[in-house]
Order: sequence, then structure tokens, then C-alpha cells
Amino acid sequence: MSNERLFAFARQAGTVSATLIGLLVLTFCIGRLMPVDPVRAIVGEEADQATYEMVAERIGAHLPLYQQFIRYVNDLTHGDFGVSIRTGQPVINDILHVMPATIELATFAIIFGAGFGIPLGILAAVQRNKPADHVIRFATLIGHSMPIFWTGMIGLIIFYAALDLVGGGGRLSDYYVGLVPDRTGFILIDAAIAGDWEVFADAVNHLMLPASILGYSSMAYITRMTRSFMLDQLNQEYITTARVKGLSKSRTIWHHAFANIRVQLVTIVALAYGGLLEGAVLIETVFSWPGFGQYMTSNMLIGDMNAVMTCVLLVGVIFIALNLLSDALYKIFDPRTR
Amino acid sequence: MKPIFNTISSILIGSALLMQPAYAETPPNMLVVGFSMNNILTLDPAAITGKEAVQVLANIYDNLVSLNAADRSKIDPQLAESWTVGDDNSTITFKLREGATFASGNPVTSADVVWSLKRVMKLNLAQSTSLKTHGFTAANAEENFTAPDEHTVVIKLPKKVDPQIIIMTLCLVGPGSVLDSKAVTEQEKDGDLGNAWLTNNSAGSGPFKLEGWRSNERVTLDRNDEYWGDAPAMRRIIMRHLAESQSQRLMLEKGDIDIAYSMSAADLKALENNEDVKVQTIGGSGFYYLAVSMKDEKFKNQKVREALRYLIDYQGLNDSVLPYFGKFRDRPIQTGISGALPSIGYKLDVEKAKALLAEAGYPNGFSTTLRAISDTPFVNLAPAIQATLAQAGIKAEIITGSGDQIYGAMRERKFELIVGRGGGGQLPHPDSNLRSIVYNPDNSDEAKLTNFQGWRTSFYDEKINKMIDEALVEANPEAQIKKYEEIQTYYADMVPAIQPFAEVVDSVGFRADIRGLELNASWSTELRTVTKER
Repeated sequence: MSNERLFAFARQAGTVSATLIGLLVLTFCIGRLMPVDPVRAIVGEEADQATYEMVAERIGAHLPLYQQFIRYVNDLTHGDFGVSIRTGQPVINDILHVMPATIELATFAIIFGAGFGIPLGILAAVQRNKPADHVIRFATLIGHSMPIFWTGMIGLIIFYAALDLVGGGGRLSDYYVGLVPDRTGFILIDAAIAGDWEVFADAVNHLMLPASILGYSSMAYITRMTRSFMLDQLNQEYITTARVKGLSKSRTIWHHAFANIRVQLVTIVALAYGGLLEGAVLIETVFSWPGFGQYMTSNMLIGDMNAVMTCVLLVGVIFIALNLLSDALYKIFDPRTR
Repeated sequence: MKPIFNTISSILIGSALLMQPAYAETPPNMLVVGFSMNNILTLDPAAITGKEAVQVLANIYDNLVSLNAADRSKIDPQLAESWTVGDDNSTITFKLREGATFASGNPVTSADVVWSLKRVMKLNLAQSTSLKTHGFTAANAEENFTAPDEHTVVIKLPKKVDPQIIIMTLCLVGPGSVLDSKAVTEQEKDGDLGNAWLTNNSAGSGPFKLEGWRSNERVTLDRNDEYWGDAPAMRRIIMRHLAESQSQRLMLEKGDIDIAYSMSAADLKALENNEDVKVQTIGGSGFYYLAVSMKDEKFKNQKVREALRYLIDYQGLNDSVLPYFGKFRDRPIQTGISGALPSIGYKLDVEKAKALLAEAGYPNGFSTTLRAISDTPFVNLAPAIQATLAQAGIKAEIITGSGDQIYGAMRERKFELIVGRGGGGQLPHPDSNLRSIVYNPDNSDEAKLTNFQGWRTSFYDEKINKMIDEALVEANPEAQIKKYEEIQTYYADMVPAIQPFAEVVDSVGFRADIRGLELNASWSTELRTVTKER
């Protein structure tokens, strides 16, 4: 490895760790300044002062803020993420349980969002200012501007209550819960390993609606970005040249214009995916989906800092990883960065 | 923007019902219950807080005795066959039934009962409060909870109180839950008396046992085949965390859940006309009240407090804001509890209030703050009370926030007015309400008696403390009732810091084909008797 590359690598590692440390400090301060009291959450409204003080001491809430932080970071460097107040379990176990639920949801959502969003964006750009463009822009604008908890509830009312097409809240119907052994936490994968296709179908049935609603909202963003990237390219002179040279319209669009926006699209989709992983709180609440977003917010509301800090750290790592990944993909797709 | 969305979604729910096809029913021997489980942080009976965990554990643990679901003043035998109170009212002796076993197969013995009670005191967590109030401590537990033989439990009262209130406390899920001492001791870690293990395991003798708990997801209970009583019809009970009231309603309407414990008033009201669903309202614990801080100069003045009493629109709140949440009550003891006097019938009377304010030296009213948590029904109660206060010139700025912010301020005695909920009542004994709402043995800031609302409001009256203490030790039942009546009359006369305007009720929605659901006012509804008629 040349010196230059080594330096670049060190710089990147430095940036990553500085970001994570900054994130930790900030989260800890905000979490502790928020008017929530984890001790009160544990002991309840009726407890007397003796009980309150005993529990405060046990969880270390009686210490000054900076000491609590040092204690937390110290545990962290020993690989100990602590125990959650809400569940009484090691935070890391909790996350291993909630994360697969969210990854399943977000992955289907992004497949839906990008799968429809990118072609629609291209279509809108090509058909600029024609009816198709207007329809697409209007439909995606709705997806972008509707509050997602509301779209979710309406989705439930129509597709679950009225039409009976999909399952209600939760990841599985009650009588399927626990039927397949929990190997990976991903119900679809677990059901497939067990070969239980009935459970698999039920899981898909429950996943479809929340994933497509989530996908619809991210599709709005992806479509609009694709359209504007695409328009940018279509206005370039090389496109005109290509057309004048006699290249077919579809070949110009796909081989020239689209090839040039692939890189930007990768970044957009990667970031949208990251957003879905941490930001599906509302849809998780409406659909009683036991995922990461719900875990993080419900713990934030009782000041369960071990859980919140680990969640924030994880979100930070996910975003950094997605950024690094899209950087790497840039290098593959864009010859200039090689 | 939000009301528009609500309207549209209501219309859609309505139309969805019209075109609804066949129901997806739950299996006949499985009961699915939905409610928000956000407040469940543990399933250890000694450590639980709030009513949600009680709703779960009532099906897992037995007590010596239990409160009758239909008649709250009646105490039913459970693990104890019979009980006697000693002649001088200082001991209670329980005789245990033969043949009761825990889910593990271990027999239920008096040693288990005594161990469980001592455990509550030693852990000193949330559920120890109700016993500590009556003088029990970790230190005196050894001496006060004893088991002379395998089927006898003797409880010695450390303080002179009405033994009935101790028997009632033992009916509560939490302090009175009987644990399998052998099974728990095996799981003990670092002297935690099994606290960590019991967070998501169970060791009871009730009709069901805990199969699994996933925080904010579901609780699964399986039938306890070792259960000593009649076997429940349900093999399995699934309790699902459904945070949204609308989700509970949709799933109840569809038949995907059988019972919904925590629906909002709007959804309950909408269900009234649905033939497939029933809604039942039962008495709860505590009151909705307007409280003042006696640290505030203005509210120290009795005339001002009396003026506030006439600035609450009791009837209006009862009719418009409180359906499904509470019903009118202006006395400090809940209706149905022995000794409770009928409501006085306070009414909104702005002229009278103005006159009282003028007498107190505030002819033009004053400015103050009114705290309320940002949750139903408080978000509606606070503006309604603000409006009636304004009619007499009292400008109250509303401060909303989370429970920690609002009740936190009250616990720190830093507030002016608060519209809140509380005041005991888990036990059907007048002392439970009075001790919580007005009793205050030490009014100093250092005392930090945050579990007494009396202390939080800085209200201190030596006479009422004495009256409450004396009534509790009165051995003659009739004389005791008379004393409680006197306390209520005195309460009305001297206008303490807390004015109740309603008592809490709980509303539950369930499928119409559910039979044998005996809702219990102390949240400890046992689902053992439930069957489905399908």
C-alpha cells in the first residue's frame, strides 16, 4: 500500500471514529437533558423516596452526567452495550431481535420504491410536460406529502378491513407465531429454511402493505430525483449528437443518459434505504411491527440510555457504511474515480 | 390538518364496515387480547408498575385471597381456604387449601407465601409501597410474616390498622402474588431473589403460565396443566401490543383480536353500534381532579380554593370529555366503597366564585398556570377548565408535557394548578383514597413523601391526618363508617388542595360471542372463565 493510500485510509478511519464519538456525546447529552426519568419509569408513580434512591443508585442515575458518560464509554470499550431498562435484556440481544424485522420491511420497501421509482422517473423525464409526466409527478407528490401514519391507517382500513387482501398488524397471524424455529430472526428466511410455506405466505401477507406504503413514500423521492438527474442528462449536447448520429431513442436513453446517472442513483437509493432502516417508526407503530424504530423511540421515551445510545451508534454505523459502499460503487461505475 | 385526517379516516372506517366480507376469527381455544404494553418493563410481581402488567399477571399468579369481580367489597378465598383475624386485631391467620400446586408441580405451601411476602419487602421495589404504608419493612418482615405449619400463614401487623386493609392489600397482584420459592431460588443471581429471571419468566400457581414475553410485541400465556382449580377453556392467551387505538378497533371489528383493553373514547363510541362487539365500562381506581399547590400564596387562601371549586363545569366535563374515562364524583372516596357518601352535587357557579374571589381580595381574578399531561382526556380537560376559570377572571396558562414533566413538577412541589388523575383506590377501602389524596404526615420539603398527593400539594391539616389514622384503627365497623363519613364532611368544609370532579372508570371492548368475561375493577381481570360461543 502506498503512503498516499495509507494516509487516505487513516484519514477516513479518523473521520469515521470522530463522527461516531461526536454522535455518542450529542446523544448522551440530549438524552439526559430530556425531561424523562428512567428511575421513575422503573419504580412507578406511587413509589416512595427510599425505593427511588435505591434504584437510582443501582442504575447509576445518581452520578453526575459526565461520570455516567465515562462509565458508559468504558463499558462500551469492553464490548458491553449494557442492559435495557425496558426489556431487562442485554441491548445487543434486543437489537438482534428487532433489526431483522426492520431489515425485512426496509428491504421490501426499497425494492418497491426503487423498482417503481427509477423507471417512473425516467419515463417522466422522457415525457417531460406531457400527461404521463404530470400524472407521475402528482402521484409521487402525494406519496411524499401524506403523513405516513395516515397513509398506513388508510391502507389498513381499505386493504385489511374492507378488502381482506392483507394481514393486519404484526409480522404474523397469531396462530403462526412460534411455528418455525427462530434461526435468523428473518421470518421469511426462517420459514423457507423450515420449508413451511404456509408461514412464509402469511409473513408475506403481513409484510406487503407496510412495505409498499413505506416504499411508496420513498418512491416519491427516488422518482423525483431520477427525473431531475435524467433531465439534466437529456439536455446535454451529447444526447443530441447521439440522436443526430441516428441512434435509436431507447438506446440513447438507456445506454447513454441512464448510464451516466447510475452513480448518483446508487447514492440516493442507499441513503433512502438507510433512512428506512431507522426512520420507519410511524409505520412500525401503526402496523404494530416490532422493529428497530419502535424499539429506539419507546426506549427514548423512558430514558433507557443504554438502548438509545446503542441504537444511535448503530444508525451512525449504518449510514457510514452506506456512504462507504456508495463511494465504492462510484468507483466501479465511474471510470474517472478509478 | 389532523382533524381533517381523522374525519376522513372515520368515514373510511365506516364505509369499510359496510363492505366488510367474512370475519377472520381467532381459534376457539385461543384468546387474543390487544392493548398498549408500553408501560410493561418487567413481569416480576414485586417490581411491576401500572395496570398493564397487572392485566397480564392476574392470570399467572394466585394470591391468598382475591377481590370479587362483581362486588368489590367482597373478598373471595383463593389459595387460602379461610382466614381469621385475632381478637386484638393485631394478627391475621390464613389456612391454605390442600392440593394447590405451582406450574412447576411443586406444592403451594405456607413457606412459599411467607417467602413471597418477604421478597416484596426485601426487594423494596414498586410493589412494596402498599405494605410499607402500613408499617411493614424489610427489617421486620422476618418477624411479621411467619408459617407455623405447612398450611398456616400468620401475619402480624406492625402498626395498628384495620386488618381488612391488609387482607385487601394481599388481594392485589404484586404485593400479594404467591411465588414458587423453590423455582425462583434456583434462578437467583447475585442475591437478586430471582428478579432478573422473573422479568420474563413466571413461577405462579395460576391458571396460566408465561410462555414468553417480547417487550412491546406480545405476551404468550399457556394453560397451566397443573392448575388446582377448574381448567380454563382457553389453551393459550396471546396479549398483543397494539399501541394505536385505531388498530385495536380494526382488529376487534375484524375478529383478529377478542378483547381490546386500551381503546380511545372515540373508537369506543364508534363501536357502540356494532352488533359484533360489546363495550363494557367498570369502576377504576382514583379520580380526575383539579389540584392546587398550597405553596402558592393565592391558593393558601381557603376562599380562593373554594372559588375554584365552583369554577369546574362538573356536568359539562362529565357529558362531553369524560365518557369512557370517568364519571361525576365530587367526594374524596369512590362510590361503592364502604363509607362513601353520595356526591354533593357541586355545579359551575361563576357568580358565587366571583364573590368568593372578591372576598379573598382578587375581585379581578389573577394569572396562574395549569398543568396537564398531553394525553387524552387531559388535552380536552385542561382547556375546558381554563375556559371556566377565565369566566371569573382567572387567566390560567396551560402547560402540557409528559408524565415526567407534569407529575414530576408536582412531585417537586413546583406547580400552581394541575389537572390530574390519581388518589389511590386500588383497594376498596376508604383509607386507600384518603391516604393518597389528602393525608400528609410531614409537610417539610425534606420529607419527600412523593407518594402522597397531600404532600405534593403541600396540604397539611393535623386534624384530618388524625381523623384518617383513627378511622383506620376503629374496630367497630359501624363506628368506622361513621368516622369516614365525618372525614368527608370535614373535607368538604375545609376545601383541601385537591378537588375531585370525576372518578376513574375503565372501558373494555370485546367480541359479542365472548362469554364469562368478568371484568375486575382492580385491573386484575382473570381470563380463566372466558369461553367463546361459536
